[in-house]
Amino acid sequence: MSDLSVSMSASGGLPQAPVLPEAPAKVTVRNLNFYYGEHHALKNINLTLGANRVTAFIGPSGCGKSTLLRIFNRMYDLYPGQRATGQLMLDQTNILDPKLDLNLLRARVGMVFQKPTPFPMTIYENIAFGIRLYEKISKSEMDDRVEKALRGGALWNEVKDKLNASGLSLSGGQQQRLCIARTVAVRPEVILFDEPCSALDPISTAKVEELIQELSENYTIAIVTHNMQQAARVSDKTAFMYLGELIEFDDTSKIFTSPTDRRTQDYITGRFG
Amino acid sequence: MAVQSDVIDDAGPYDRAKALGAFKLGDVTFYWITRLSAISVLLILGGIIISLIVGAYPAMREFGFSFLWTQRWAPSADPPVLGALGPMYGTLVTSFIAMLIAIPVGLGIAIFLTELCPQWLRRPIGMAIELLAGIPSIIYGMWGFFVLGPFLANSFQPFMIRIFDGVPVLGAIFAGPPSYLSTFNAALILAIMVLPFITSISVDVFKTVPPVLKEAAYGVGCTTWEVVRSVVIPYTRVGIIGGVMLALGRALGETMAVTFIIGNSFRISSSIFAPGTTISAAIASEFAESDGLHQSGLILLGLLLFVLTFFVLAAARLMLMRLDKKAGK
Repeated sequence: MSDLSVSMSASGGLPQAPVLPEAPAKVTVRNLNFYYGEHHALKNINLTLGANRVTAFIGPSGCGKSTLLRIFNRMYDLYPGQRATGQLMLDQTNILDPKLDLNLLRARVGMVFQKPTPFPMTIYENIAFGIRLYEKISKSEMDDRVEKALRGGALWNEVKDKLNASGLSLSGGQQQRLCIARTVAVRPEVILFDEPCSALDPISTAKVEELIQELSENYTIAIVTHNMQQAARVSDKTAFMYLGELIEFDDTSKIFTSPTDRRTQDYITGRFG
Repeated sequence: MAVQSDVIDDAGPYDRAKALGAFKLGDVTFYWITRLSAISVLLILGGIIISLIVGAYPAMREFGFSFLWTQRWAPSADPPVLGALGPMYGTLVTSFIAMLIAIPVGLGIAIFLTELCPQWLRRPIGMAIELLAGIPSIIYGMWGFFVLGPFLANSFQPFMIRIFDGVPVLGAIFAGPPSYLSTFNAALILAIMVLPFITSISVDVFKTVPPVLKEAAYGVGCTTWEVVRSVVIPYTRVGIIGGVMLALGRALGETMAVTFIIGNSFRISSSIFAPGTTISAAIASEFAESDGLHQSGLILLGLLLFVLTFFVLAAARLMLMRLDKKAGK
């Protein structure tokens, strides 16, 4: 296995993050099952997302990693015929509780999507929009919050002179960082990234990855990615999923250097997927 | 190998050029056919405008610009007096009221159908809307005359007149006596007639909103109403306004149903429950027995409708541009 770790760091560029001490659980998943109508998409998932840690989800297409992410903020609720069973706790809140206030949940669990999704309004409004849903604040306070969020999204210096331009006028990478800033602006506790860099060029990807690392100081992060070097670079823990099952869940360094399951090893060495 | 080289020798560069030449001829033909089709639109439009102007010329020479602000319409007086103020006012007011009713209701139906409606109810409602668009306008006219008119005159109109009695401005708008034939009845029928345009176009453009964009809005914690107001409608603004313009164009020019129920009175009344007329209703009801200056006056009315529609559509374009500017485009 040692040759693998050498090739990883050679191609990945960044050194492996040191193994952090075990963090308190922010999100706890127990015996989670998910169904698309009759199709059993997730089978008995058990794992925890550590507070202020980055957890990466890897696995071949259709393995259920995006599905799992969309349960964390109940996004699946928008579509009829999809249901989840089991237990899913955000601190003391039961996420699967049918009486749960979904708007409040989604304020606590933000999401960044595969494709940049700026709203059809100005850059300023893109950020202020989410804040206004929850808080009544003055114009000057709002200006502060918008600036802070844009700085948080590492975008402020590029857009500070054109806050009134349309969010759609930005480049793809900038749009994605605008979406991250918008998510951060609402002050969530958990941020979900669903393949955030798959539509971005390498430079934008590097910026977003750097941003994810910075954000993990204040937020609990879950990221789905097809790029294994990205998982190795940004995450503390990695979960490998296959055909709706969680095969292996461990420290990222361990998953990429000495996985215990044969299938994990086959996947990260590129033998399938 | 030998066979292959034979083929190449036989075909040669000469044949290939010929084949390409045939394509080129097709291309040129295609270009001219499409070009002539496009130009024919301009020719037809120009022809209509010119024949309208020629037909309206006697009336224009006789009445000049006073045609625009004269309310009296007396073709058999001596000398005849013709003024377009009544029909122009009626056209604008009926269309305005119709849009006031049809836009919110039409958008409401579209939002319900695309965002909230359970799957099994979608098809029946969608089909009902399509059918509504297919009803001929004469049917709307008869229904308005025999059913809607009496109903409004017996219940809705007295109710509104009683409520707003004595209130400044509104009291004058909703003034009695109730009437089977009125500007308001015509506007209501128009609203029902243009509703399918607004709804079906809005449904189509709402479906073009990427699901991920809506998810993103739900993802920051929006309610369905907030998603619709802040994401779906701004995203589809151009399409919605297109649908509204199509509906407005129909409302401004609608003839048969309006002629049936508006009452054909050239007098302008402050009350929307009083009879009125529109340009197209005036033309339809009088053209058959008109001649000379009277007929020319009616053609001039038609030309005015043309100009009116043009200005309304131009105003809508302007509004769209200003909206774009506000959104930072």
